[in-house]
Amino acid sequence: MTGEVDLAATTTAARTNETSIGGERWREALVGYAFIAVPMLVYAVLFFYPILYAVYISRYDWGVFGKIESRGWGNYSELAHDERFRIAIKNGLKFTVAFTILSMALGLFVAVVVNNALRFRGFFRSAYYFPSISGSAAITAIALYILSADGLFNKITGLNRAWFGESSTALWAIVGLNSWTTSGTVMLFYLAYLQAIPRDVYEAAAIDGAGAWRTFWKVTFPLLKPGHFFVSTLLVIGGLKMFDQAFIASGGTGGPNNSTLVPVLYLYRTAFADVKFGLAAAVGLTLMVLMLVLTLIQRFTFGRGESA
Amino acid sequence: MASDVRTQKDTVRPGETPLVPPSPPAPEELAATGEAAKGAPVVGIPGRTGAERTRAIVVYALLFGIALLYFVPFLWTLSTSLKTLPETAQFSLLPKHPSLDAYRDVFTQFNFKRYAANSLALATIVAVLNVFFCALAGYAFARLKFPGREVLFIAVLATLMVPDQLRLVPIFVKFTQWGLMGHYHAYVFVKLAAAAQLFLFRQYFMTIPKDLEEAAKLDGAGYFKTFWKVMLPLAGPAIAAVIILEFEGTWNDFFWPLVIFNAAPDHNTIPVGIFSFVSEHRTLWPQLTAGSVIAIAPIALLYVFFQRYFVAGVASAGVKG
Repeated sequence: MTGEVDLAATTTAARTNETSIGGERWREALVGYAFIAVPMLVYAVLFFYPILYAVYISRYDWGVFGKIESRGWGNYSELAHDERFRIAIKNGLKFTVAFTILSMALGLFVAVVVNNALRFRGFFRSAYYFPSISGSAAITAIALYILSADGLFNKITGLNRAWFGESSTALWAIVGLNSWTTSGTVMLFYLAYLQAIPRDVYEAAAIDGAGAWRTFWKVTFPLLKPGHFFVSTLLVIGGLKMFDQAFIASGGTGGPNNSTLVPVLYLYRTAFADVKFGLAAAVGLTLMVLMLVLTLIQRFTFGRGESA
Repeated sequence: MASDVRTQKDTVRPGETPLVPPSPPAPEELAATGEAAKGAPVVGIPGRTGAERTRAIVVYALLFGIALLYFVPFLWTLSTSLKTLPETAQFSLLPKHPSLDAYRDVFTQFNFKRYAANSLALATIVAVLNVFFCALAGYAFARLKFPGREVLFIAVLATLMVPDQLRLVPIFVKFTQWGLMGHYHAYVFVKLAAAAQLFLFRQYFMTIPKDLEEAAKLDGAGYFKTFWKVMLPLAGPAIAAVIILEFEGTWNDFFWPLVIFNAAPDHNTIPVGIFSFVSEHRTLWPQLTAGSVIAIAPIALLYVFFQRYFVAGVASAGVKG
């Protein structure tokens, strides 16, 4: 009997509670939408809509005053046959491969050295990261100065070249520049991965009488595999997107002789120098697909190696 | 109970871990102040002190060697900026008659006063707006329940995969149609709410215990007041990180100012100013290096005082893709 009363009392209590929570829930949802409204609007207008709009533009001959005529997939077939686009892709891949390898080698080397320091580790870590936070324009200006024909680099090495002025060296000068500035970032990632390696692995290697060099190649390097994957993915995508340094060093032309014409610079010039927005939109979409494919390939190859 | 809250608060206060998005496991350690690095994998069997000493000598020789290589370009730049043009041909490490003439020139003749003011104003505005909007939205995603929350959050993260290069043409075309090109607010709009910072705030708010909010709610505070008076003051480290990262990102940004202010050169920021200087007077080395110093010095200064927040930004590069 008492149990019944209790039961009834609880259900009423639960019901009133429910309705008030119901109203509150409704209010909470509205407030939630209001709080995210501005960022969501930005993402809709400046990220999701532009993807669709890029597809739309890419199917037109599009000039300063808007669309001129429909081209179907004509822009894409024009790209496929464009000699300069092929050069840009080739330069982009050349740059990306060299930049990725050099940054990883430099960053890993520095990380291992820093990781072996018993004191002042934090200080050196901060010092080496410094080039990474300096702006691309200022850093490129500095590189133009130091690598100029009468610059410090030639003075020290005894060479005599205008590194940015010759088509055989300009792209490699940017590879060197960006690998230097990026190595600090790579170092930070590798340091984190190095610290994840358990110490007893090193003790085992030491007991086996392995020297530092052998220990690095047989123990440290293979155990850093997840780090290699993570870092190389970031660098490959970053390398394909490179623009600022090539643009500034070549005065916006991609020269000398198209040697620094990388994909994004080609896109920029197609849009603003040739005023072919349809073609430029097609370049943007092609690049995005290329980046996605490369990331997937990388994930696939590394992923398989890891599980084996 | 009270002590319970306190300990939880203490775990939040250091602020390092929550700042870091959980990409792969290891980079979480990046944000540690460097002390975490002390578990050094020192190779060697106890007793091999001689070998260890050689090792230490090699390590420190390398450390200083690398530091020298990494800083020579900056020191050389600083030194040149204090020289006169004829003196730059002499390759002396220190200027014989240090002068600030080059700085005076870039500020007065080459418009860097205007560029610097533009850079400073835009970087500050972008940083503050990012803190406000990303914190507010990050709080909503972390705490409030609304239909579609998970899907919308995935959409936020998806924006990180869209490269700027793809957005360039459609945004340029639309902004031209809307008459936004060459305006400061167009640039602010592009940088208004970075998904990476929204993500950072959401992760941070998720680590804050709910008790405090509930206390505020019992006091009758509304959602915004709870956010503004309770949550935001607890998010100090996240706010600092977002301010630093967005200030640095905007200050150094070259791509969007180049595109948006192309039609209005007096709106240009320092990086674009450096580019125009390079294009027109490449070999005025003292002025060029002075411009570079002006571009780098404020960020260097911030870096000296707030390093760990810069590092938090590296960790979030995992998300930035």
